[in-house]
Formats: sequence, C-alpha cells, structure tokens
Amino acid sequence: MDGSIIDIMLFAPLATILGVLLFWFIQLLFIQGQKYLLEKIRKKHEPFCRFTNYLGILFQTICQALGYTVTKRGISDIYVSVNYGKVAPKKQKKGIFEWISNVFLFIGPFFIPAFLLLICLFFILKNGFDTSIPVHLLELKYTFGGQLTILGVNLYNFTASFLNFLANIDLFHPVHLGFLFLLIFLGLGIRPSYLGEKKIDKIDILYELKNIWQLITYKPAYIVSLFLVSYSFFYLSLLLDKGFYATMFSVFGWLSIISIVALFLSYLIILFIFAIDQIEGRKKIIPYITIPISYILARILFIYLQTEMDKSMSLMIMILLTMIMIYLLKKHKGDKFKTKRKIKRLKDKSEGEEQDE
Amino acid sequence: MSDEELLKNEKLEKMLSPHPLSFMRYQALCIFLLIWGFLVWWMVNFSDFKQYFENPWIAIFVWGIVLLIFGIIVALITIRWSIFFMYAGIFFGGVGLMLWQSWIASVGVFILVYNVGMAIVGFLLVEWYRRSHKYVISNQRIIFKGGIITKEERTLRYDKISDINAKQGVLGQIFGFGTIIPISQSGFGLGSDNAFAAGGIQLGEKKAKIMGVFGGGKEVQTPRARSYYELHGVYPYKEIKKLVEEFIQGKDVIPYHQKNVEYQKEQTAFQKEQVDIQKQMRDLLKMQSGPKKYVEENNDEEDIPDDK
Repeated sequence: MDGSIIDIMLFAPLATILGVLLFWFIQLLFIQGQKYLLEKIRKKHEPFCRFTNYLGILFQTICQALGYTVTKRGISDIYVSVNYGKVAPKKQKKGIFEWISNVFLFIGPFFIPAFLLLICLFFILKNGFDTSIPVHLLELKYTFGGQLTILGVNLYNFTASFLNFLANIDLFHPVHLGFLFLLIFLGLGIRPSYLGEKKIDKIDILYELKNIWQLITYKPAYIVSLFLVSYSFFYLSLLLDKGFYATMFSVFGWLSIISIVALFLSYLIILFIFAIDQIEGRKKIIPYITIPISYILARILFIYLQTEMDKSMSLMIMILLTMIMIYLLKKHKGDKFKTKRKIKRLKDKSEGEEQDE
Repeated sequence: MSDEELLKNEKLEKMLSPHPLSFMRYQALCIFLLIWGFLVWWMVNFSDFKQYFENPWIAIFVWGIVLLIFGIIVALITIRWSIFFMYAGIFFGGVGLMLWQSWIASVGVFILVYNVGMAIVGFLLVEWYRRSHKYVISNQRIIFKGGIITKEERTLRYDKISDINAKQGVLGQIFGFGTIIPISQSGFGLGSDNAFAAGGIQLGEKKAKIMGVFGGGKEVQTPRARSYYELHGVYPYKEIKKLVEEFIQGKDVIPYHQKNVEYQKEQTAFQKEQVDIQKQMRDLLKMQSGPKKYVEENNDEEDIPDDK
C-alpha cells in the first residue's frame, strides 16, 4: 500500500468529509440564488412564493418531527401553515438527544427530502450506484488523494447516470412524470429559509451558517465524537480492506447532487415565469400550452421518424419551441385591441391618478 | 344585486363568489378520472405488462374495479354515497357505450378519451355550481344566494350573528381564500359529527346461538353549513373576515356601549334634579322655621370671607 502513514492515518479520512462539505456549500449557494430569484417575482406571484414557503416549512417540520421521533422524545403537537411550522415534543430531553434533534432541524432539510428521491432513483436508474474502486487507485485508495478521487468517481458516475436519465425522461411514463414532479417540488421546497410577507434580511445563507455554527460550538464534544466515529469507520475500512468509508460519504454527495439538480430545475421554472411576465395580456397562456402540445406532437412525429433518441429529441423540441414562442410573443407586442370597457377603465384610471396628484 | 333589493340606509360593501379552487374536493374527483384514464392508457398500450391486457375485458375489469374501489373509499371518507354512484354510473355508462358502439377492441384508447371527456364534464359542472353561489355583504346584513335549478337565499343580520367560524385549508393559505361560517343565535351554521360504535357476541356453536349487540353514540357540535349558507372560499379571505367582524362588532358592541352611556347620562341628570329638589326643600324648610333666622343665616353666609 502506497502513501505515508500520516497521510493515511490523519488526512485520508478528512478527504471525503471535506468533499461532502464542499458539495453542501454549493447547495447552500444555489439555495441563496433561488431565494434571490423568488424575491424578484414575489410581487406578481405571491401564491407561487407561498407555495414554495409551504413546501419548505413542510420539509423542515417533517425533519424536526423525525428528529423528535428518532430521539424518542415523541410529538405532542404538530402544525404546518404557509407562514409557520411548529413541532412540540412530548418529553424534554437534554444533552445528546437535544443535539441530535437540532441536527435534524438544521441539517435535515438539506438531505432528508433528497434521500426520499434517492430511494426512488434506486429503482428508476439502471446504473449510477456503482461504487467499485478504479484499478489504478487500488494502491492509493487509503490516502487523501485516493479517497478524494474515489469520492469524485462515485459522484461522477452517479451524476452522469442521473443526468442521462433526466435528458431521456419519458413524460408519458407515469413513474418518470411522478419523479419529475417530486424533483421539482424538492427544488422549490429545499429552501429552509423563510420568505415571508415581511422581508426578514437576517434569514439568508449567513443566518443558516450561523445556526449550524452555533450547533457545532454549543457542544464541541459531540462534533469531536462524530469525527472520532468517522475516523473509526475509516480505520475499520482500512483493516478489513473494504472501501465502505468513501461509499458512505458518497451517499451524502449524491444527496447534494440531487438537491443541486432539483434547485437548477427550479431556477429554470422561475426564469420561465419571469420571461412570461414580460408578455402582455392573455397571450401569457400560450407558452404554458406550448409545453405539453409541442411534446405530444414531437412524440407522435418520432413514431413515424423512428430514432433511438426520440425522448431526448422530444424534450429538446419542447424546450426550443417554448423558447421561440416566448421570444416571438415578447417581440411582437403590437397595438392592442381595446374594447369600450377597457378604454373606459383606462380613462377612469388616468383620471384617478390625476386627482391623486 | 340591484338597488331595489337594498333596504333603507343599506349600503352594498362586497359582492363575492367562491374562489375557483375552493371546490377542490369535487375537482379532485375529476383529476382522479384524468390520472386513472392516463394510467390505464399507458398500461394497456406502452407498459412492460401490456401483454396481460391483450384481452380487452381484463382492461375493462381493472379500470372498473379501481374506479369502484376509489368511489367506495371516497364515499366512506366523505359520507356521501352519491360519489360512489357517480363512479359506478361512469363505469357502467362507459361499458354500455363500448358495447353499443362495438368499441371493445379499441379499449386502450376509448378509456382514455372517455375518462378525459367525463373529467371535462365534471370540471364544467363544478364550475357551474361554483358560479351559482353569490354572497352579498352590505352594512346591515349578509345575503347568501345560490342554486342551479332551485334558487335559495338566506339573509343574516349582523346583530343575529353570535359568532363566526373561519377556516383556511392549504390551498386557501396559498391562494388567499377561505371559508367563513356565521353562526346565528338560533344555531344556524352548526352541524354535528356523529360517531357510533357497535359490537356483537355470538355464543354457541351448533343450534343455540345468543346474539348481542352493544352500541354507543357520540355527537359533537361543529360549525358546518352548506356552501350556499356560508361564505365559502371567499377571496381575499383576511379582508372579508375583518370586514364581517367589524360589522358584527359595530352592530353589537357599539349600540351596547351607546346604551350604557345614555343610561349613565340619564342617571346623572336625575341625580342633579334630585339635588336641586333637596336644595329647594331645605330653603323652604328654613323659610318656614322663621324668616328672621333665615335672613341672619344668609347674612352670616355673606360675611364669610372667600378663601379662594
């Protein structure tokens, strides 16, 4: 086995932890970006933002409830609304139980909903869960670089398989369609930060990081224990010569990747809404209709023009046609035809404005 | 509502209709039809187990059994057997149509088209039902109007409302609508939830059988009214709720306070009157006891220096 003893004993276990932290931080940045975009469309799409709030609060409440259940504190009261979520424990427990509950509350929303999707993907994806170690890394697998590379390879395999699935998703397949909806809901609700009626500046990425930092510094002994457990797993993996340590952390990486992809999809949806807002009048509905119609027509077309890439081509056609439609509708505003009632309403409005002045 | 229908000094505040999503419990029945039609179509034509549906009657059986089971479950949950009969009607209607037109062979497509058609009809009926609701809020009363064939109307004066019940579901919270049930002093707007438990015992194995049934009932009063008699799914919920509460307060609390103030004023005036009478009586008594003494006393009073 190559690699220095310090590298193997001290730094190698850190590699996967740091890798997962990096992905989690990217996830946080994506969440912050989503919050920024939602703020932009909030005035015109209040119900949509309330819906995303509801999903976020729902996920957070479920995670908190799960925390109380795991620590055997029980749940006496559970309440979820658009603005507020509350879970009250039956029993008050201090120490490690309280700390674990807080871990579920603060970190759970980032991973637990994604974990549900990972279970779904386990049944849908044909490959991507392969965690075998590449041959050229066999000698270096317990070094810092080796562990990091194994994590990278695992994440790459999963990402490639996942993106391939998304690019070839069959929207006529109920399971695929259901999964896509779940992914979109996850992307919209993964934001644990609250987007309320009144803007609260402190609820941002720094606020969330502060919360987690407090969780770490509140009982540093627990974090140290967590590190010790991780290191023990690594040494066990080393002794048994089984690469389960990197695989274990790869799961967290997969969860982050699912979340990032879900967030990216939610970006597309928000940008789509943002683009449609710039179309005037009732023509706004046309892009929404274009999406299903273009997909159905493309799928029918590929029944006659047989190709292996019919599903991905149909998706491409759907996206392109929708984009072209939005562009055309935005470009050709033209003179609007106004009915008598509309003219009267405009006159009344302008008169009202004059009176206000 | 025309001006002729308004009472004297009555001012129209709001005319409302339920929010388009407020009847989601009915719309969900149509959504199920859509989803199930789509699923059957996919299973029969494209799924990995499409070979099982080569016999069209198997597809019809699966389609019907799921439709009927769903109907029974929803009927039991909502305690409305009409939902089950509706699904049964859709199923038997579909089978009848297939047999009549000899469309059995193309069952894969027929079920999808039929379900979509039925769902569209359902959506239109729900929309028609929604639009039949009209709520008028004036400064004196709330008028509830509704009915597709038979027109119903209920008028409720604010001073007759004892309290209001307001509820907002998840969709209501997202889209800003909610239901307000005004409960009148006579109890209109209150329903009851009944629960009944029963158990039976059978003794004996061959001939001698003793049968006993034990039961218990429980009734809970709960705010409930037909959508025609409540402000069902009104938008904007918070604003309407505040408006109605303000009118109830205005009709109930303010007159009560006004009455109190008037009563207090009357009491003060009465007491003042009493004091004046007593003063006059005292003067008269003094006059009767001796005019001289009275004059002296009056003079003494005048001699007293004014400290102020």
